[in-house]
Amino acid sequence: MMRPKAWVGLGLVGFVVLLGIVGPWLAPYGPIDQIEGANLVGPSSAHWLGTDEVNRDVLSRTLSGIRIDLLVVFLAVPVGAAVGVLVGLVTSWWNVTDVITQRVFDVVLAFPTLIFAIALSAFIGPGVWTIALVIVSLEVPVFGRLVRTSVRSVREMPYVEAAQVTGAGSWWVLRRHVLPNSLEPLTVQLAVSMSVAVFIEAAMSFLGIGVQAPHPSLGSLIKDGTTLMYDAPFLALGPLALVLALVLGLLLISQSLSEAHRD
Amino acid sequence: MTAVTPPRPFARLRLLAIAVALCLMSACTSAVGEQNDRGSTGDPVDGGTLRVAAKTDLIPKSVFGQSSDGGNALIGLVYDSLVEYPHDSLEPRPALATSWKVAPDGRSIHLELRDDVTFHDGKPFTSEDVKFSIQTIADPAWSVQLQRTAAAVTGFDTSDPHAITLKFDRPLSNILDLLDIVPIIDEDTFDQVKAGTGYNGTGAFRFAGWKPNSELTFDRFDDYWGGKPHLDGVDVKIVPDPQAQASGLRSGQYDLLLGTTARDAETFGKDKKYAVLDFEGATQQTYVGFNLDNPDLKDVKLRQAVAYAVDRERILDEVYRGKGIAQNLSWSPSSPAYDEAAAHHYDRDTAKAKDLAAQVGKVPTLPLQYIAGDPTAEAVAQIVQANLADIGITVDLQPVEYAQMYQRLVGADFDGLWIFGHTYAQYTPATLPVSAYPFNAEHNASNFLSDQYAEHADAAWGAPDPDGDVAEDAYAALNADMIDNVWLTDLVTFWPRIVTSSSVHGIDYTKRTELILRDAWKDQ
Amino acid sequence: MLSYLLRRVPSALGVLFVASFLIFLMLRLIPGDPVDALAGQDATDESRQAIREELGLDEPFWSQYLSWIGGLFRLDLGQSYRIGGSVRELLANGALNTVVLAVTALLIAVTLALVTSLVAVIRDSRWLNAMLAGLNTLGLALPTFASGLLLVLLFAVVFPLLPSGGTPPDGYLARPDITVQYLLLPAICLALPVWAGLTRFLTESLRSQMRQPYVTTARAAGVSRRRLVIRHALPNALPSTVTVLGIQVGTLLGGAVLVEQIFTWPGLGSLIESAISGRDYPVVQVLLLLSVAVFVITQLLTDVLQAWLDPRIRIGGAR
Repeated sequence: MMRPKAWVGLGLVGFVVLLGIVGPWLAPYGPIDQIEGANLVGPSSAHWLGTDEVNRDVLSRTLSGIRIDLLVVFLAVPVGAAVGVLVGLVTSWWNVTDVITQRVFDVVLAFPTLIFAIALSAFIGPGVWTIALVIVSLEVPVFGRLVRTSVRSVREMPYVEAAQVTGAGSWWVLRRHVLPNSLEPLTVQLAVSMSVAVFIEAAMSFLGIGVQAPHPSLGSLIKDGTTLMYDAPFLALGPLALVLALVLGLLLISQSLSEAHRD
Repeated sequence: MTAVTPPRPFARLRLLAIAVALCLMSACTSAVGEQNDRGSTGDPVDGGTLRVAAKTDLIPKSVFGQSSDGGNALIGLVYDSLVEYPHDSLEPRPALATSWKVAPDGRSIHLELRDDVTFHDGKPFTSEDVKFSIQTIADPAWSVQLQRTAAAVTGFDTSDPHAITLKFDRPLSNILDLLDIVPIIDEDTFDQVKAGTGYNGTGAFRFAGWKPNSELTFDRFDDYWGGKPHLDGVDVKIVPDPQAQASGLRSGQYDLLLGTTARDAETFGKDKKYAVLDFEGATQQTYVGFNLDNPDLKDVKLRQAVAYAVDRERILDEVYRGKGIAQNLSWSPSSPAYDEAAAHHYDRDTAKAKDLAAQVGKVPTLPLQYIAGDPTAEAVAQIVQANLADIGITVDLQPVEYAQMYQRLVGADFDGLWIFGHTYAQYTPATLPVSAYPFNAEHNASNFLSDQYAEHADAAWGAPDPDGDVAEDAYAALNADMIDNVWLTDLVTFWPRIVTSSSVHGIDYTKRTELILRDAWKDQ
Repeated sequence: MLSYLLRRVPSALGVLFVASFLIFLMLRLIPGDPVDALAGQDATDESRQAIREELGLDEPFWSQYLSWIGGLFRLDLGQSYRIGGSVRELLANGALNTVVLAVTALLIAVTLALVTSLVAVIRDSRWLNAMLAGLNTLGLALPTFASGLLLVLLFAVVFPLLPSGGTPPDGYLARPDITVQYLLLPAICLALPVWAGLTRFLTESLRSQMRQPYVTTARAAGVSRRRLVIRHALPNALPSTVTVLGIQVGTLLGGAVLVEQIFTWPGLGSLIESAISGRDYPVVQVLLLLSVAVFVITQLLTDVLQAWLDPRIRIGGAR
């Protein structure tokens, strides 16, 4: 039976995803349309979330901005996770590749994420692909480590040794015994990583090294809003609430998954 | 379960918390309250430290070249120049020089110097210091904006310690620009300048210390030749975020902001607790440039189409909050070269722009580069992008870091269009086409080369009188060059604005937006 | 203990060495020339060449790298391109601010985490648990910039009680009461996610300890719940909590980038941003290496501390 926590989490994430999918059709304006004369007007029936400094409808921008976050969450994280799992599975089977890969992971994980992001954006320029690259580079070692732990523990199991003696191939062991065993921690980590990804998008765009003008993302909308905190405090509220909903929802899902796993 | 044990450790904690809260509320001083103390207004009073928030920090290795808020504050407070332009004209008034006379052939200038001036370390000021200062500025290593003009000063007669004659290797119509800009520095302590450890000048405030990325401190120079300043000192804090500057002023941490956005300045202007100063005369310009090395931008019709398409009035109103003028020319209205008709030649005309663009044919997507992380540049770029979309030209916005922006400007290496600021519009006109990178007739950021333009620039530089007939003709020719060739088009000429708390009085500034605080004072 | 530490050191040094090379290489591949950032808009070719030679940028790559590494061993971190002063002094200035902020945040986070977890497990009341769990999840979900802006808005703008940013004007020691007020908002903001992560983990560990058979036995023998939690469950839960804390400390510097930006705290985070945009290689490479070193050393310390708290690891030599 699912816990109420999981329902709330799923509900929050589902709501944001739904908005992201159908939102742009519901949006009254295009995300980059500049409406003549509507310079930084407050919330009204014509503009539910007001307009920004260059006369754009913030509701339309917010709805469209969700898609960037969905892209980051549902594309970059799974890609990073898949690559990480694959690398972890393959390299940890042999001692030499295992040591090398683990040291590489050590180096990558040793950089604080945001500092790594700033350096990377200086290197390849800011943008949504930079965000995706930061997330992928972060998730590969995280998932690689996770899988390695299962590989290492399963390899020592007597029945695996027995299977190998009877001629079972490495791939068979990996697929048959390692993957199923690590599935649960992987799903928990996937949910955690997704919430971290939303966080990274928002933080990078907030620092100005994420999604660039004129295209909106939740993080860049929050940044735009905070630079006008006194004049137009309403600008950041919508996007901020959505980021919170997304992170909170994913966290609740991961928490209930790991609780279910433990019980 | 039954909780029998009384939770004693937490009771103790609670007591501690109450004690801390009480201490915070009463016994100890509030950091906010302490800075909010304000008294009455009236006659100037002595004392107090002015707390300034600046966006960018001093860069000692290029302190006389690349401008920064910290560096500008340093030069404005610690150093004096020989002459000073008022904000709104090019008629200099005396400073360290009491009088001056340009020779009839325009190839030398004689200056009488004050004899009652000492540097902060007590050394008397003499004509040797003038020679050293001009020669320093002429040294390419400092890459000062007026380096070419300074290098044209080749002879120094320093036989009289309180007078100097400067000889030029060619007539210089903008020699007074140089004398207004060059800070008078001291040779003996010069090695401290690049290290950022000492700045010995003759100005109203002494350099007291610098913590990189954090703050610059200055204290009063009691023996200042212009009279003892009212303020005890000035603290310049480096606060890169305009938002943080604004909240710091509201909570009373700062008295004066150097980096507010136009919109924040407008908001503060409506509140009696704050005062907004417009630096009229110290204008700055925002422009759209075109790199002619990009084959798509070779056709002048396309560049003219862009010039007609941009909505300068909207940029002025919405981004700069109406503080400035919308014009396509590169001079300030106070400049002798300013021409009202030419300044509005490219007033917005979408039909004309569409027509010109149609004559060019199919235009591929054009890259537009601007300073990353600068909210003002970003807003301007987005408006220009929308304006060009209206005439069927697609623009790809590319934010570029400040450091790279400079590299591309110097190397004339922008991909296509770019948005940046230029200065010199408020000075003697010859300074612009001789010195500024976007305009330099020998080599400019647009890769625009024209013998005709180079000739006109040289004529303006060599004109005996910057307001005379020869000069006027040269200016008219330069304006025609700009209108016809459009290697760049100006968007707005705006006034930098600073915001102060209303307890601060007597703030002045130079034509280069350096603060002058010798007469400033604070309510006690 | 010592041999355990010695076993771990080579790999830590390896990580540092590889990182130093990658950092050095990467920075030289970045588009944008430090000379331009320094020389400014109207520099001539001669002045640019003069600057280039002065900075040693005309030397080959390997000799630049080796002279950098050699300098590091002599604690000579090089000269800042932009600022001109020694990188060590520049860093010392920022590092002090960041360390003060990070240590304060850490103290707040650890103290609060201990208090809240212990209270939650000892009291074990339904509504208290629900409330703490809610607060906890919120602490994890609230992005640092959001909590920071809310704090500024609330305590510095709407109710001007505390400074909105900056460091105490007369240093940290001159007026401790003023210092506390300047530190409070940024430290809380930085501490919030650490507190949330730590509390969540510690509460879970304590609860699982309380489900162990020995606890049931002890309860039957009349040992109070409070005594059981503090004397028995806590010592058993600590080793793994230290690991979690170690990970959190490693991420603190990244969080400091955001917090320092919001509260205009002149520390390493704001230094690294301005150094990268100014192409100040000597500063950037030392800062990046420093952030890696902080992480590696924290991991090392965490492992040692964990081994000290849990003898099984020390003796069994678990990897």
